[in-house]
Amino acid sequence: MQLNRRVAFATLALLASLNVSAHAILTDSTPKANGSVAAGHVALTLKYNSKIDQGRSRLLLVAADKSETPLAITASADKPNELDSATDLKPGAYVIRWQALALDGHITRGDLPFNVTPAP
Amino acid sequence: MALLVDIFGYLSVILHGLVIVAQSMTLGGLLFLVFLLHPLSSRLVQGDALEQRIVRLTRWSAWGLVLAELATTALQVSVLMSTVDLPFSNVMQASFAVAASVKILCALAIAFCLGQRTMARSIPRTLLLLVGLIELAAATATTHAYARLDDNTLLMLVEGLHQFGAAIWIGAIPCFVVVLRHLQDADGLRLVGSRFSRMSMIGVACVLLSGITMWIFYVGDAQGFYGTAYGVMVGAKVAMFIGLLGLGLGNFLVTERLRKGGDASVTRMRRFAEVEIGIGFTIFFAAASLTSVPPAVDLTTDRVTLHEIAVRNAPAWPRLSSPDHDTLAISQLQTQLDQDAARDHQVTQSATTPGSGILPPRNAEDIAWSEYNHHWAGIFVLLIGFLALLSRAGMRWARHWPLLFLLMAAFLLLRSDPEVWPLGQEGWWVAWRDVEVAQHRFFVLLIILFGTFEWSVRTGRLKSERAALVFPLLVAVGGAMLLTHSHQISNVKDQMLIELTHTPLALAGVAAGWSRWLELRLPGRGGRIAGYVWPACFMLIGVILLWYREA
Repeated sequence: MQLNRRVAFATLALLASLNVSAHAILTDSTPKANGSVAAGHVALTLKYNSKIDQGRSRLLLVAADKSETPLAITASADKPNELDSATDLKPGAYVIRWQALALDGHITRGDLPFNVTPAP
Repeated sequence: MALLVDIFGYLSVILHGLVIVAQSMTLGGLLFLVFLLHPLSSRLVQGDALEQRIVRLTRWSAWGLVLAELATTALQVSVLMSTVDLPFSNVMQASFAVAASVKILCALAIAFCLGQRTMARSIPRTLLLLVGLIELAAATATTHAYARLDDNTLLMLVEGLHQFGAAIWIGAIPCFVVVLRHLQDADGLRLVGSRFSRMSMIGVACVLLSGITMWIFYVGDAQGFYGTAYGVMVGAKVAMFIGLLGLGLGNFLVTERLRKGGDASVTRMRRFAEVEIGIGFTIFFAAASLTSVPPAVDLTTDRVTLHEIAVRNAPAWPRLSSPDHDTLAISQLQTQLDQDAARDHQVTQSATTPGSGILPPRNAEDIAWSEYNHHWAGIFVLLIGFLALLSRAGMRWARHWPLLFLLMAAFLLLRSDPEVWPLGQEGWWVAWRDVEVAQHRFFVLLIILFGTFEWSVRTGRLKSERAALVFPLLVAVGGAMLLTHSHQISNVKDQMLIELTHTPLALAGVAAGWSRWLELRLPGRGGRIAGYVWPACFMLIGVILLWYREA
């Protein structure tokens, strides 16, 4: 019970830390913030309002048990404002903790919480 | 290092402000030398000596640019190296690092090569101007324009024009003040004054043209202006720009009178120019703050409406009683964690981790706590303004009004951050990682400093004229810093509504500081008028604080 409460708090706190008054902001993402995706191999896309230095940015997957897994970013010259990745996910609550370096040198970070539901 | 990203982010805004100041003074000094002082020096009494002074000032500015740029780049590079786990050589290939290296090299070239001998020959002069132009181009690569998805070239040209306008106008004012201080003859004043007016007009035109263009691309519409943090900061810049234009117009009228052979107050021109420097530099910090927020056009959701602004600012009676500390969200969460840990025989977790980027929870009691703080601060400041007016009216006992600042500082230090020692569970030193706590402490330090200095001046303990200038300078600095103040609140609209009240506070602080400066430095009617303006500004700050709402 207390573990659930702690997870709920962590989720709430992470939700609260969505960094929206920063230099680079998320304009769209897959999965959506607080959205759901089916378990399995999941493509992750974070789209920003400005060009991002993909090689010098970071994506970190935080699971409900607070374990952290760095995600490899797929560099893509024709999508200069995106951070793309893919990973295998089991059902549960996750947060992508992102840190983006905008091309003009500003570092911003934020969180993208989402849920993974059992595969149909 | 990950826990220091937020505090580094704030520091980088401050350092970026210093970079803009140093860059503007370097380029402004260079332009002042090439287009004003060098051509006129043979016709000025002490022309050579003046040129030497301005060369020295410009070289110091260039060194300042080297240091500020090194500091800001080192900060960004170290954050990237530690958080993304990249080697130094990799990070130094990032666009911003390349641009910073170019800026540093250009500043070094100016610092080493600028001198009266290079000024005397046209090719070295032209080369130095070219170095300045390269520095300016590199500077545009660290602006929003470079990272935009569209219209990069146009926007970078516009940013370059904006920074050029700021340099030739605001950046050159320190040189103008130095020359005015040492120039005694009417002919010389006429020559320098009228040419600097023309340079300033070019600067104003560049700033206006580029500012309007950036408005179109970055703000977009009326709601982008009043409904986003970016728009509000632009509004603050516009307000200060209008103030600068007023002061500039006053000086233009003086130079015109001088040009026509009439009598005019050169002292007033000098004092107005000093204030122009102060307000101009404040604009630079507002500009630095702008780079840390997304352009208004990008923030399509979470904009504040006029209705929401009206509802939030509806008059209400001030909150003069505080909720209990135990009822705050963070206290309740800590209590819960303590109980869980005791039951599970585990080590207690802290409800907060300063610098983690995770914002603390807030409930209605937290809002009440914050409003109570703001309202009592408002009472303090209102009283300070009122007592300062009474003191001016001759009531001797009222001269102790600066002591109220010390009371207010103690109040703010104790209550601003309830999660921190002595009220909360967070340690005093570890809380420095929290960017909001660090800012609050900086403001408390400023308040203690200017309160102490002003009380010592008013009671005759400090008799130096320079000591009297500490109060206005620090008040103006406090106002400027308030423009960079951020609240760690997750709700964007709430954060925005708070900024809508803090921006007028900052502007009133800047106005108070510089009007007190004028009272001290400007003899006659102007100084007397300024002597009534700054207490009125304090009272206005008090009223705004009493009006403050977070829900």
